[in-house]
Amino acid sequence: MHFKVKKLTAVLTACIISVLTSVSSVNAYETYSVYNYDRWGEAVPSQAGYTARKSVTGDDLGAGSFNMPGDIFIDTNGRFYIADTGNSRIVVTDDQLNSADSVLDTFTYNSQELTLKNPKGIYVSPDNMIYIADTENSRVLVCDQNCKVKLILERPQSDLYPENLTFLPQKVISDRAGYIYVTVANITSGALMYDKDGNFEGFYGANRVKKTSQVVMDYFWKLLAPDSMRKYMTDAVPAPVTNFDIDSDGFIYTCCSSRKQDTDVIKKVNTAGYNLFADYDISFGDYPTPDYSNTPQNSFVDVDVSDDGLINCLDFTNGRIFQYDEECNLLFVMGSLGNQTGTFTQVSAVESSDSSIYVADAQKNTITVFDETVFGSYVHKAVRLYNDGYYDEALKPWNEVLRMDGGYCLASNGIASALINKGEYKKAMKYAKAADNQWLYNRAFEGWRTEFINSNFSAVAAVLAGIILIISAPVYLKKRKKRLHKSEMEEQS
Amino acid sequence: MMNLTPVQWVSHVVFHPFEGFENLRWKKAGSLKIALIIVTFLFAGMLVSDRLYGFQFKAVYDKVFNIVPYIVRSYVVFAAWVTGNWAVCSLINSEGTFRKICIYSSYALVPYVVQLYVNTAVSHILIQDEVIFMQCIYYGSVIWSALLMFSAVKAVHQYTCFQTILAVALTVAAMCIIMFITVLLMSLFQQVAIFIYELYTEIQYRIRV
Repeated sequence: MHFKVKKLTAVLTACIISVLTSVSSVNAYETYSVYNYDRWGEAVPSQAGYTARKSVTGDDLGAGSFNMPGDIFIDTNGRFYIADTGNSRIVVTDDQLNSADSVLDTFTYNSQELTLKNPKGIYVSPDNMIYIADTENSRVLVCDQNCKVKLILERPQSDLYPENLTFLPQKVISDRAGYIYVTVANITSGALMYDKDGNFEGFYGANRVKKTSQVVMDYFWKLLAPDSMRKYMTDAVPAPVTNFDIDSDGFIYTCCSSRKQDTDVIKKVNTAGYNLFADYDISFGDYPTPDYSNTPQNSFVDVDVSDDGLINCLDFTNGRIFQYDEECNLLFVMGSLGNQTGTFTQVSAVESSDSSIYVADAQKNTITVFDETVFGSYVHKAVRLYNDGYYDEALKPWNEVLRMDGGYCLASNGIASALINKGEYKKAMKYAKAADNQWLYNRAFEGWRTEFINSNFSAVAAVLAGIILIISAPVYLKKRKKRLHKSEMEEQS
Repeated sequence: MMNLTPVQWVSHVVFHPFEGFENLRWKKAGSLKIALIIVTFLFAGMLVSDRLYGFQFKAVYDKVFNIVPYIVRSYVVFAAWVTGNWAVCSLINSEGTFRKICIYSSYALVPYVVQLYVNTAVSHILIQDEVIFMQCIYYGSVIWSALLMFSAVKAVHQYTCFQTILAVALTVAAMCIIMFITVLLMSLFQQVAIFIYELYTEIQYRIRV
């Protein structure tokens, strides 16, 4: 009883303190509300994993103001390549984003001079080749650091490419084998894939059609309809791939900005074009409110994978960045719509380095720099160790995380897993319960039970024997009574 | 023969599904007090199985706790069953009184009520892989209770098998109608209450101005 009262007062005090301090401490330094989701899918205030340090304009870099910057890329040397779409140029800066090193706007190709027109995509390969999606010129340029164009990719002369569609390349990447991938506006069959000589190879990584009732009905009618009718029926097509990024292992991550699509919003595609996230039971972006009164309208315009495998997804609708670990657990949410540093009006691109995230805004014409906080660095360290299977080593950073934000579910999960590994089942049960993780709790409980039975075998056996005795005794006595009664009757007769 | 205490009658009825209720009727036994205690145990059992279940089997959303659904699921549903059964069976030459229906039906619930407590206790011993034992207990008790309920309706009204099936089906329909009318009535009363409250605020406003 005494213990209960103590517990109750502790909970009450904690509640009061959190109510008094949470709002002020959590939002003290951020210009937006920092939240995360608990197990029930409800948004709860959380600690900030990143904080907006500054926003950089073109003038700050000494390159003249940006005009609708469309893409950012950081090469292996840490230099920034910014596709300044509206000014039809590429701005290259140093690794601190302090000043512009050079501005690329004219290129030479076989002694012929080429200029850009609204380039929307930029990529630099590890061997320092620059890939530019020269959108309005309907071509992709591949050039070296001296602006010498080596290769021009143009509209594929193939039956696979629909005749009546334009060729407006949006984004471009290349993999280690030299294959070049290009997303094109209004192509729904995936990204275009070229080999290293610029030959069109086919499409790659198309999204799937969401199986709505409408799609199923259309399919059914199409089965019944004669050819003459079928000619006028529309096909269900998936939303196109909007943007992509390639990680250090060569997996391509794609995103899709359609608000109507909720399958394949973020994909991790292997070389065979198979989506590795297809079987995960996850949804990216904001969750609907618990009573489904408000369904979020996320529109992911860019995806970025860091060297550690963290996935940053850029939501255009709310100007937010959602950061996931490689297992697709939501780590942090940052950003919002607004005019202060750290908020956006029209986000266009996201890119990340070791401890920072860079977001381009096409209307504010800035690049905002988010720096990792202490809390963020603990979470990242713990997640990295945990996902690599070093549960015991991850225990310390997880404890730090939990000390700073007691509601961080992933930390409780991590601690519970580590404690199960160590064999401290009773404590693991507590943490698994705090994380609302039934599966982990089950494992911890199984361990605890085995331990309990092993150490108290005689007591458990005695209790079991007692239960069996209590159940069987009345039955036996009844039978015996009946038998006696019968024999008495027989004797009497 | 058959001089049992009220509590012994309960166990006699539960362990003799086919002749138990006939004996109960023949001896004019059965107590309303015990019947109400059983329904109270049903209510408490629902609470217990929702709040105290092993976490590996049931994660309860405990940000909000509302007791009204539990009251509805136990007391109100039982009352609707008894009322519906009494109302329907009065029309098709029954012999059961309201009191008797209440007693017999609640005795039939005993296996289900016991299961609520047993499973809650067992859920703190088993792990997810062994859930089959708990399912056995659950489905066994549900079938047992259903059998008892059938036998109770049959005995209390002295029906044939076919009449009993008909009576149960009609009772379920009657329960639905009762629930519907209750909800309708409540929403109407709510509207009246809102109307009166609006009048009150209006008058208050006028007085003040």
